[in-house]
Amino acid sequence: MANMNMIQALNSAMDIMLGRDPSVVLMGEDIGYFGGVFRTTEGLQRKYGEHRVLDTPIAEGGIVATAIGMAVNGLRPVAEIQFADYIYPGFDQIVSELARLRYRSAGEFFAPVTIRTPCGGGIRGGQTHSQSPEGIFTHVSGLKVLMPSNPYDAKGLLITAIEDDDPVIFFEPKRLYNGPFDGDPAKPAVPWSTHAKGQVPEGHYTVPLGLADVVRSGSQLTILTYGTMVFVALAAAASLGVDAEVIDLRSLIPLDVDTIVSSVKRTGRCVVAHEATRFSGFGAEILSIVQEECFWQLEAPIQRVAGWDTPYPHAFEWEYFPGQARVATAIEAVMESA
Amino acid sequence: MSQFVFKMPDLGEGTVEAEIVAWHTAPGAVVKEDEVIVEVMTDKASVEVPAPVSGRVISITGAPGDKVAVGSPLIVFETGAGAAAAAPASPAPGAASEPARSAAASLAPAPSAGGAVPVAGAAARIMTSPANRRRAREAGIDLSTVVGTGPGGRIVREDLLAAAESTVTASAAGATSGAGGAGMSRAAPAQRVEVPAETSETKVIGLRRLIAERMSEAKRTIPHFSYVEEVDVTELEALRAHLNSKLAKGAPTLTYLPLIVTALTRVLESFPQCNVLYDAARGVLIRHRAAHVGIATQTPEGLKVPVVRNAQALGLWALAAEIRRVTERARANKATREELVGSTITITSLGKLGGIASTPIINAPEVAIIGLNKAVDRAVVLQGAVAVRRIMNLSSSFDHRFVDGYDAAAMIQALKELLEHPAMIFIPR
Repeated sequence: MANMNMIQALNSAMDIMLGRDPSVVLMGEDIGYFGGVFRTTEGLQRKYGEHRVLDTPIAEGGIVATAIGMAVNGLRPVAEIQFADYIYPGFDQIVSELARLRYRSAGEFFAPVTIRTPCGGGIRGGQTHSQSPEGIFTHVSGLKVLMPSNPYDAKGLLITAIEDDDPVIFFEPKRLYNGPFDGDPAKPAVPWSTHAKGQVPEGHYTVPLGLADVVRSGSQLTILTYGTMVFVALAAAASLGVDAEVIDLRSLIPLDVDTIVSSVKRTGRCVVAHEATRFSGFGAEILSIVQEECFWQLEAPIQRVAGWDTPYPHAFEWEYFPGQARVATAIEAVMESA
Repeated sequence: MSQFVFKMPDLGEGTVEAEIVAWHTAPGAVVKEDEVIVEVMTDKASVEVPAPVSGRVISITGAPGDKVAVGSPLIVFETGAGAAAAAPASPAPGAASEPARSAAASLAPAPSAGGAVPVAGAAARIMTSPANRRRAREAGIDLSTVVGTGPGGRIVREDLLAAAESTVTASAAGATSGAGGAGMSRAAPAQRVEVPAETSETKVIGLRRLIAERMSEAKRTIPHFSYVEEVDVTELEALRAHLNSKLAKGAPTLTYLPLIVTALTRVLESFPQCNVLYDAARGVLIRHRAAHVGIATQTPEGLKVPVVRNAQALGLWALAAEIRRVTERARANKATREELVGSTITITSLGKLGGIASTPIINAPEVAIIGLNKAVDRAVVLQGAVAVRRIMNLSSSFDHRFVDGYDAAAMIQALKELLEHPAMIFIPR
């Protein structure tokens, strides 16, 4: 075990996979010589060479397309899109080629591509460095979509993703790279070394797909969330003194429906929280599942906390970000006598 | 237009709940302020509750026989301009109250299995959570009979629990079968028992239920012992006849009762352990200097015990008048709660139906009850000769936890001595 922040944990995952499997290659903008804008791939090109850790042109469509070609021909590429905000040029390649390859070829071809991309706000990044587009990808059949909220899950899930024979979109909430963040920007930053999930095995391990993590057991309501909002939700529930069960979904596809349903059936109350915009967001899908599976156990309408339906703003970031106050309002609404 | 939620009022000191006896209105009806809308009963008295406002009735809580806690919503009115006009199809107040009355009246032959009578006109969608809908379905509760106390009139879980509770009570009391509404269990809804035509069912509600509960409680918890003694009331009868002969024409005649009550109050001065209330919760015996004498009274509704307060302080005629007043009010169902509570000892008499001996049940938390049997002329041996004497038996019960047999017997003997020498009743010791 070692203290790692999320960047170090991700670096460790890729280091291990490069060492274990000669077909694994890393590729992306500034990930090689420079070590990545967030230092996630730092030292890996030096360690494994330019033919294993590739610097690419600033062309996301090309990065994804090249990765698909490499994967079909036997490699196991891990492509980094520097910010999720930049992923759209590669969207056609992801949706039309990557996601459908196994289906279109009747199983003859497959593409074990992992696309890593930092997402989310809270870093004063404005509209071009703060987006949470996971809902766009969860809507695409044929993709697996992950979003860890801590170093332990980040490393375990990334190894699982790389070892998986099908495409995985791997979102990294960048506000959580250096420490758990409870949504209050006025508070001093907390490093991962203070958190249990900052304790990460140095060797190989995996976190399974399709398994949610109950980060806090509770009896009064269930908060379904992932990414940055995990710690915001925990703090909001604590501030109200409610006995909330907080579930970090972490694997959006495949989704751990059993854990969600059994929790909500027990508590009868549910809040769904994510940083992404609300309309047609992934939260709507979770809410729909809860409604379908838990309707007769619901004590109150399901509440949803999300980003506003606007582009991520340059100004008023903390009015936009769905912080503790908004989660608390939703908790109060769902706890209203019913 | 706005809604006015009228809650069960506090009907007297210490009242925590009241039982619905009969509704005089129904959802959809338009009522005027001060019009009687419902008759409720506390643990003793019946009260007619007037409408606090004018308006249209949206919903009512509880069917006859259901208990409603003081402070819980009883009736929801739509008030303000348009309330009356908003219900063009609703019948006139007088007519509207008829279904409620007949519903209450028809309860006896055909009790509903759930206890709660579905109210007419509840057309609006019921607001409650899916979880509560499931609970109601599983408990066999008709949500249209439940009044919501949540935000915006929503039915919340507590409302459902209250409804389930009253369903249980009502169905238990109504001697209907089936497990319906047993708490919030997942038991199947109650199944109606096929009732042969030769029988009829009567829901045990109202005063009858109260009597049943109190009798069971008293008989179950109090170790009764009864003591019967013969009293020669020949002289008492002579005194009574003499007093009655002096009465103005048309004045009510004197019965034995005021004479016996007066004698009893004298005796209690020497036997204070019989003029006691037992506070079981605190394990304390409360000895009373004053004698508040309960007079067991048969009324059209059933047994009631109106109270003559400070009987020891009243002269014979005042006492007679007061006994007459409280028993008549009880018979006319006009007694207030205050007139029906607070007795410290009770006298029970069946008059001409008095029989030879009886074993009265103590009116808890009292510790003694004096029963009067029928006075008849008997042949008795008096100074070696057979004589015709007017004989009345006293059949009394005591709480053996607190009254020893010796004291009880001594007390009855003291009473016997006064009654056999009636002048002694009025001569200070």
